[in-house]
Amino acid sequence: MAADLGIMSEADDIEIKNLEVNYRGIFQKTLARKICKTIVYAAKHEGKTGFSYGRYSDAPERNGIPCKYFAVVANTTEEDLEAEAGGKVEPDYVDVSIVADDTMVKGVEPWGFSGIRPINEKVALGGTLLVVSERSPLELVDFVEKKTFPYKIAVLPGKHSFSGLWVYKDDFTDVRLLGALAKISPGIVTFDSLKKTVAEKMGADRIAPLREGYESVVVKSIAPGEGITWPYVMPVLPKWNEFEEGIVVKAVSRGGRNEDFKRFTTRTMRPVIRFDTCIKCDLCWYSCPDECFDQTADGLFDVNYNYCVGCGRCAEVCPVPNTVVMVDELRFQDNGSPYAKYKEDKEAYVKWAEEKKGKTRVNYPFVTGTGLITDEVAEGDRSRVGH
Amino acid sequence: MTQVEAAPKAIEREELLTGCEAVAQAVMLADVDVIAAYPIRPYTEVMDAVSKLIADGKFFAEYIIAEGEHSQFEIVKHASSVGARVFAGSSGTGWMYAMEALAVTASDRLPVVAMVGNRALDDPGAFGVEHNDALTVRDLGWLLVWVATAQEALDTALISYRVAEDQSVMFPLAIALDGGFLTHSQHIVKIPSAAQVRRFLPPYALGKRRLHPDNPISIAPQVNEDWVMEIRKQNAEATKKVPAVVDKAYKEFEEVFQRSVGDPWLEEYMMEDAELAIVGMGTLAITAKAAIKRMRKQGVKVGLVRQKWYRPYPTERVRKALSGVRAVAVVDRDFSYGSPFYGGVLYNEIRSALYSLSSRPIITNFIAGLGGREISIAEIMKMLELTEKAKREDNRDQVMWMGVRE
Repeated sequence: MAADLGIMSEADDIEIKNLEVNYRGIFQKTLARKICKTIVYAAKHEGKTGFSYGRYSDAPERNGIPCKYFAVVANTTEEDLEAEAGGKVEPDYVDVSIVADDTMVKGVEPWGFSGIRPINEKVALGGTLLVVSERSPLELVDFVEKKTFPYKIAVLPGKHSFSGLWVYKDDFTDVRLLGALAKISPGIVTFDSLKKTVAEKMGADRIAPLREGYESVVVKSIAPGEGITWPYVMPVLPKWNEFEEGIVVKAVSRGGRNEDFKRFTTRTMRPVIRFDTCIKCDLCWYSCPDECFDQTADGLFDVNYNYCVGCGRCAEVCPVPNTVVMVDELRFQDNGSPYAKYKEDKEAYVKWAEEKKGKTRVNYPFVTGTGLITDEVAEGDRSRVGH
Repeated sequence: MTQVEAAPKAIEREELLTGCEAVAQAVMLADVDVIAAYPIRPYTEVMDAVSKLIADGKFFAEYIIAEGEHSQFEIVKHASSVGARVFAGSSGTGWMYAMEALAVTASDRLPVVAMVGNRALDDPGAFGVEHNDALTVRDLGWLLVWVATAQEALDTALISYRVAEDQSVMFPLAIALDGGFLTHSQHIVKIPSAAQVRRFLPPYALGKRRLHPDNPISIAPQVNEDWVMEIRKQNAEATKKVPAVVDKAYKEFEEVFQRSVGDPWLEEYMMEDAELAIVGMGTLAITAKAAIKRMRKQGVKVGLVRQKWYRPYPTERVRKALSGVRAVAVVDRDFSYGSPFYGGVLYNEIRSALYSLSSRPIITNFIAGLGGREISIAEIMKMLELTEKAKREDNRDQVMWMGVRE
């Protein structure tokens, strides 16, 4: 990749800007695509050329799996831009990496054979990781791999958006992110060109949230070495003559789990379990579509967070109030066994679990045109409430 | 077609479209009557785009969801025989599943226009581009054209109806788009007006071959050895008439739409003084331009030949383009297990086309980019360097795999 970067700089005087949107598969695809399309149209307003594309290998997108969409902008002809940046699976580097759901800062694993990759992997020197989050850049950097060069983490205050599901639940996250982008990287697109494009393609009522995004984004410089040592090892794929002929791969043995694809980077919330109030009914164990629950010797059900995608089915079926509760994934650092912690010190575990539940993350069924949840909106102001 | 009317100033609009969405626009503008669909990625994208245009009331067509690709292509074949302009398409093994219908459509000389979103043939499961799927119909009478940009996809789709439905042609035609890199990548595309398209594309007319109660005919009865040779000969001779129709269609396209679409058969890039050439089809040729620019800066005289039409094969054009160079690198985004020199499909076709020349370049072959693997600028440069080396060493039959883990 570094060699490619070197070659890239040899290309005449072409300045190519790459942007990626990390999004939750299916749920945020329309959102990501809309952002990238608008960037290309806005670049055109500035007399630049551009195109956009998704990471094709993300298909088939499984619900919530980390996926990517890209926009490429340059001050050159279409022919030259496509020669330099077309025909790619994904860019070698990005100037801005948008993260549409902050839980992805814990790492992204689209396929088992891609490995759990750092969210800032593609961010170039001086580039920006732009995250939609209710947390500060400093809180987020504790999840992100340290880099050898300086870059920035920017936060657009807000909740994870579902304005990209099959029905477009409009919460203005698209234009708010674009406004933030214009602030942190006007070299990709300026606020003025975005304003024109948004008015033209989306409607004048989206100018206010565009400006709001521009004004509310918070940027923090990240020094070399700031962040964590990445705990995951990237898989090394075999050479053509190093694996079985006939496309035969080793399967998971009966009762086992896939060591090579744990899938937990799909998770935005995890079930927190109160073992002390559990009635051992086994509904969580029975209902879990990913078979994440293991019965313990004393008849309780431990959960293996490595394989939990956070679907929430266990919390839904649990008949005891407050015994299985879904909690924001960013409130946790590891995937260790909760049952082991419970056995170690029951009182401390219950206290810890209740504390975690304090600040929960909710997928609101209704959102409004202002990006506020419905119960935050005055009764008379529900004209834009989506369904 | 009659004399082309003087075209008024082009009224076009621009939109950011995927390659598939661009083809869907052409399907709408061509006012297609019957569409049969069955989903398989990456073709699905065009099926979605067309159905959305219909649902949005932009045009009307019978849109039939078949229960599989075989039926899908039977439906459009039959619709075509009663006088409907049709559109269908598929990818990878879906295209293979339709094979029986594909073969008879060509024999029956019905101008079905299809889009193939090139996809790796299962197994293993993969959605990325390989050209093997579309290439399976190369011997059957299907006309085949590879496009490399979304604009070219739209333009070529319009031209395809014009060519396929020409009275002297009447062959089915497949437009091949690289899966992912073109089918799913969004570019600014110029969309012509319906009025312009009407001037370019006459209505579909089958004449005496139209299946209708008032015109009692029977299509494709059992004939045995008494007839087959003559039928094949008739079709073989008809393919020879295609190039002139293609040339005329491109020329008139430029007149009506008032913009250049380039040479129909080959795109030549920096070939004027080239000593070394790289040849390929589809999007990989776009990346090759960046490699060529870098090597030109280093003083290496390299050029690109992107082959667009594949059937009928532009033999003379290829001979003309490549007879002057010292060495040629042919990049195949396909495989042909056990073929001469274990090379790719395009490689062996080009070698055959150049065989009778008195002065032939050294030709090396690179199998690359299979299953959607990216072919980098650096890899293209490497291919050209290896071809230069083959020339120096007089190594004449070299086939190499590029970008494979070894």
